[in-house]
Amino acid sequence: MEPIIITQDLKKVYRLGKVDVPALRGVDLVVQEGEFLAVVGPSGCGKSTLLHILGGLTSPTSGHVLVDGNEFITMNDSDRTRFRRHKIGFVFQRFNLLPTLTARQNIAIAQHIQGNGFNPHRFDAVTDMLGIRPKLDHKPFAMSGGEQQRVAIARAVICEPKILLADEPTGNLDTENSQIVLNMLRELNRSFRQTVLMITHNPEAAAVSDRIVRMRDGRVVSD
Amino acid sequence: MINRMVLQNLLHRPVRTAVSVLAIAIEVGMVMLVVGLSTGMLHESAKRVEGVGADILVQPPGASMFFGLTQSPMPIKIADRLVEIPRVAAVAPVLFQFNSSGGGIGLIYGIDLESFSRVSGGFVYHEGGGFEQPYDIMVDDWYAKANHVKVGQTLHFLNHDFRVSGIVEHGKGARLFIPLETAQDLTVAQGRASIFFVKLTNPGFADDAKAAIGKLLPGYQILPMREYMSMMSSNNLPALQVFISILISVAVTIGFLVIFLSMYTTITERTREIGILKSLGASKAYILEAILREASLLAAMGIVAGFLGTLAVKKLIIASFPTQAVDLTVEWALYAAVLAMAGTLIGAFYPAIRAARLDPVDALGYE
Repeated sequence: MEPIIITQDLKKVYRLGKVDVPALRGVDLVVQEGEFLAVVGPSGCGKSTLLHILGGLTSPTSGHVLVDGNEFITMNDSDRTRFRRHKIGFVFQRFNLLPTLTARQNIAIAQHIQGNGFNPHRFDAVTDMLGIRPKLDHKPFAMSGGEQQRVAIARAVICEPKILLADEPTGNLDTENSQIVLNMLRELNRSFRQTVLMITHNPEAAAVSDRIVRMRDGRVVSD
Repeated sequence: MINRMVLQNLLHRPVRTAVSVLAIAIEVGMVMLVVGLSTGMLHESAKRVEGVGADILVQPPGASMFFGLTQSPMPIKIADRLVEIPRVAAVAPVLFQFNSSGGGIGLIYGIDLESFSRVSGGFVYHEGGGFEQPYDIMVDDWYAKANHVKVGQTLHFLNHDFRVSGIVEHGKGARLFIPLETAQDLTVAQGRASIFFVKLTNPGFADDAKAAIGKLLPGYQILPMREYMSMMSSNNLPALQVFISILISVAVTIGFLVIFLSMYTTITERTREIGILKSLGASKAYILEAILREASLLAAMGIVAGFLGTLAVKKLIIASFPTQAVDLTVEWALYAAVLAMAGTLIGAFYPAIRAARLDPVDALGYE
């Protein structure tokens, strides 16, 4: 089977004023469909940049990025946005729920943006699996960190993305909630063969994954 | 879903929403009231002239359609010749006196009560009656209410004391009436009149009568009433048009600037939320639509508030100044609404474009 993610000599350089800052210095990575991959490394090693590129939030400077058969280097912003809408789900460290909407609305807006309309069966299945039904009519300020992150996971998977990208999903959670969230991600991977790429600096969180890739200074140092 | 998000955003920031709505309401109110007050005064004045009941107005050469500006009164004997013209039923000479004291600015009509009554059909008296003495004055009921005037009271105009002999129903030319001879004495214009109000046996003969009067009085201003009424609109007054246009421009500019600032601040506050939407795959068009919808909803609320506020202010104006007319029309209400909506959307456009173009990574990391 064709890997779902292939990067070859992936580079990303940020221009800060007059200075070029290389965030990725040639990353080669292959991820199979249905795999649960953890990317670990110290702060500034480029793991978030890698995630952003794979999610289409930013473009690579050079190299190849093939995600579900789509070559990112040739895609413009609109193409990447369209790709992200249908194929990518994001989970962030800071949950990133819309504060003025309830949990239900935060999840529903993902379906609305995708344009396929509200799917009540999928909605019920996801919210049941994540155990957030009692909190659906609450706004983020009325939920704990763990609850918010589970709502964020629901939002990320409601549209059945090809890849779930999780950026330090347990970074703002206590141990108990961290374990709950990691178990949810594991369950999504095992039960639904959801491809998960999680970046973390926590070795315990990384241990939940099938495979760990270590990065340092913009490169993969072990896989 | 976008509508729900927009509504929640507005409710989430009630003070900002209220200020924006208020700014638009003031913009709408300013447009409607500026136009309403200026055209109201013009129309009300014209309606009162129409209310005299004349079919043709005869004025000296070069006279202004604003009666108070007319100089060089005409010999009153012209009335005798006008009455002889076929189809003329009655002629009423009137001498204008411009008044700027005793409760306002306006015209005092010096009238011959008998001939004026033949043209107008007579006064309806709320209290008192016609002139009994040379320095009697009749006031209309709106003037009496606004200035708390009663029959028998002494009023001071034109450097003389006048006794109020009667309070009459409004709508027959002026608000104040004195005897014609008294007006002539006060202005040393004995045997003179500023205008002749001519009543015809049938208003349908106005063109024929105008032609006949024109032969009799070449060079004189001879206006059928319908022509006079059509002239008394702001379209025929370039200076008023300019005044209205300037005030409307100021109102729209203020509304535009408030919305621009409000939406710009909102976009800055909600940078991370925009980043979240982009991470979900929201396109530039989606973001643009959401922001413009929010602005439109603010405009709609402001327009409704503006309409209601304008009606309330109109009531207040009339209660405080009963002689002041405020002409609110559906046409100008729609125009004010369109201006407010257009100004709002233009004001929101730059912030919306800016939001749509935000880099999603930068937006997500915004504190």
